[in-house]
Amino acid sequence: MKKVAKTKLSELFSSMAAEAKLYVPALSDGIVNFTLWQEGLTVTLTALNVLVPPKKFFYPQTETVLKYEWGEDLQLEDFACKAGEKTILFAARPCDVSSFAMMDKVYLDEPPDEAYRRRRENTTVIALGCGEPDETCFCRSFDIDAAKAPGADVLAIDIGLELVLVAQTEKGEKLVSAQNGLLSEATSGDENRVKDEQEKIEGRYVTSVSLRGMMEKLDGMFAADYWEQLYKRCIGCGTCTFLCPTCHCFDLQEYAAGNRGERIRCWDACMFADFTQMAGGHNPRPSQKERVRQRFMHKLNYFPRQHGDYACVGCGRCVRKCPVSLDILEVIREAGGADDGM
Amino acid sequence: MAAVIGWRKKDFWWQSPVVFLEDPADAHRLVWDPFTIYSPVKFLLDWQERCNAKVGIFVKGCDSRGINRLLQDKRLERERVVVYGLPCGGKADAEKIRASFPAKEIKSVSLLGEQLVLAVGDKEERIAAEAYLLDKCLTCRHPNPVVYDQLVWEEVLPRQKADESRFARVQAVTSMASEERFAYWQRQFERCIRCFACRNTCPACNCRVCIFDQAEPRWLGKANDPADTLNYQIIRAFHVAGRCFECGECERICPAGVPLQEINRRLIKDMNEAYGDYEAGLDVTDQPPLGTYRGEDPAGFDES
Amino acid sequence: MPVTNEGFEPVIVAFCCNWCSYAGADLAGINRMSYSSNVRIIRVPCSSRVNPSFIIRAFQRGADGVLVTGCHPGDCHYHSGNFFTRRRLSVLKQLMEYLGIEPQRFQVRWISGSEGAKFAMVMNSVAEEIRRLGPNRKLRDVR
Repeated sequence: MKKVAKTKLSELFSSMAAEAKLYVPALSDGIVNFTLWQEGLTVTLTALNVLVPPKKFFYPQTETVLKYEWGEDLQLEDFACKAGEKTILFAARPCDVSSFAMMDKVYLDEPPDEAYRRRRENTTVIALGCGEPDETCFCRSFDIDAAKAPGADVLAIDIGLELVLVAQTEKGEKLVSAQNGLLSEATSGDENRVKDEQEKIEGRYVTSVSLRGMMEKLDGMFAADYWEQLYKRCIGCGTCTFLCPTCHCFDLQEYAAGNRGERIRCWDACMFADFTQMAGGHNPRPSQKERVRQRFMHKLNYFPRQHGDYACVGCGRCVRKCPVSLDILEVIREAGGADDGM
Repeated sequence: MAAVIGWRKKDFWWQSPVVFLEDPADAHRLVWDPFTIYSPVKFLLDWQERCNAKVGIFVKGCDSRGINRLLQDKRLERERVVVYGLPCGGKADAEKIRASFPAKEIKSVSLLGEQLVLAVGDKEERIAAEAYLLDKCLTCRHPNPVVYDQLVWEEVLPRQKADESRFARVQAVTSMASEERFAYWQRQFERCIRCFACRNTCPACNCRVCIFDQAEPRWLGKANDPADTLNYQIIRAFHVAGRCFECGECERICPAGVPLQEINRRLIKDMNEAYGDYEAGLDVTDQPPLGTYRGEDPAGFDES
Repeated sequence: MPVTNEGFEPVIVAFCCNWCSYAGADLAGINRMSYSSNVRIIRVPCSSRVNPSFIIRAFQRGADGVLVTGCHPGDCHYHSGNFFTRRRLSVLKQLMEYLGIEPQRFQVRWISGSEGAKFAMVMNSVAEEIRRLGPNRKLRDVR
């Protein structure tokens, strides 16, 4: 177990940034986001979570898929095979880290998405364990331990003046040993502090929900009255979708001009009215009721049926940011307990 | 009435979302507290489409101007809505409260005159409300509903400093040099995630088919490129110019903290200076500044 | 298209109203008054036809400068079109400047059908202004 003094962090960042693109949580006008590290950037370790989840490093909001040009013949430039630069992600929270394995089930399933695969391969994830969950944190309800992050390459734990670093994978070992000169050995006292932090967090949650039987309950709820009651205040924006660590739907768009063009992949939201809009004018999800139902059925029924996990990590972003306070907590509590409507 | 639109309480102390009551027996669920903020006006558009019956709606001062907005834009029929007006002393900013008090221990927050009463743990804290009100409330010039069928309680006095601070942020941004200003806006728009929460919540954004939803021609691409985001921000602000009634909801609900009021109010200030003081949403018979003209209008371009 | 400053030839898009400015352009041509070939004219029935989205789109698609020309206020062929143009586009111009776009990039001028010389002069001076300003980077699409 290694450790680094918080006062030496900028030296560590400087060293890591020499090898790779380093992203750290930084504050900008009151909002914390993963930002490319540069000399002088103030890193925020106290904010509980970043606004836009780190899924964007593997599944960016906008990416070029291919470019084409018709000259004498067709020139095609594929971008998936070029994706992925060496990247280090610092201080990803355990909830967000859990989302990576979930997304892998979609994007690495045969045939794997090449751009996503390359980005995953070229990124080293350093998780930062949480000390104090917010009232909107309910990761525990999804069996996610906020003080551990099994999917991360390195786990960092805040023990006050220092961060303890635990390498958990080969990639993590490589990173830690590359930075060895700036790190010191953790003492047994430090190790006890770590254990303390990891145990204390258990009692600090104020919000929890039971997922028991949730998926099964929803099997019979497609036609339930419940959705009729729930959907009315949804304004159909993309806030929940874009801020959700596990949402992963995309659209393909083309930018064409004359004899050349570019195809891009970008985030899409099933909350948008035109998400299922078809060329002939038909929309199988004609009103917000069908769309709201879709969101929660997908996360709490379809995805777990298909992949075995609930597509939620309890990060609380939808709870905090939804303009109308329509969040997954509400649905889990009400649909989980409701029999057939309210 | 087919329904009454108001607010109810939800799990957390800062959650008082909109509720649609269809059964009079549910009336006890309605609440009025420092977090009954979300403007329910735009939902009237959906209700009108869904049913022919009347709908009742509770509105604060800011919300009520949204009713006039919909009426003036011919998107709502006055006879179809019963408006219950609620004079408002201001709403609380949960973020400001969280910055000063341990959020997990707060049980409730209520407004008592000029004080906020917080139940924190097993103690009661009384704090001067003004420091914890939403920014939009501090610049509110119309706390009393401007249109209603029934005024539920006595009118309140407008905040004294509302006028002074109305254009303060606009002036601060304007005083930056051009390149510094561009860098400022780039930094703000960089965070825009193109969720369209601002457009979806705004009563002035009430086109049956929004320009940003058109696929043919595609005025706005789906890629989150800086130039296209700038395109969105310019056109969104421009399309509400002269019709925005400064409710501040767009800025308040923006998840990325884009300071939209600094853009909306810049336009209002420019139009006030060029065409005379005008406030949208007060009189449904007036002429919004971009819907009319005068021969003697100043140009801003050459007149030779 | 590379966006550099050396040998930079600006692309100017000019929306010209059919009845006055386009006639003015014609007159310039008839009188052999040459004006910058950087200017691409798009004829519209009236300056008020110009939707702000046209202007932004022109910038996004590679224009370094956009010009809207119309009849003098009071002389509009459709009586009141350019009164709306005047309000609408001065509000847009101020908004764009507030957001940090250089004021010279988007301009509005009143040019009548008999002002062939003015047309040529305006086109030339705008082209020169934009040449000195350099390529439009702020509103240009990367794709």
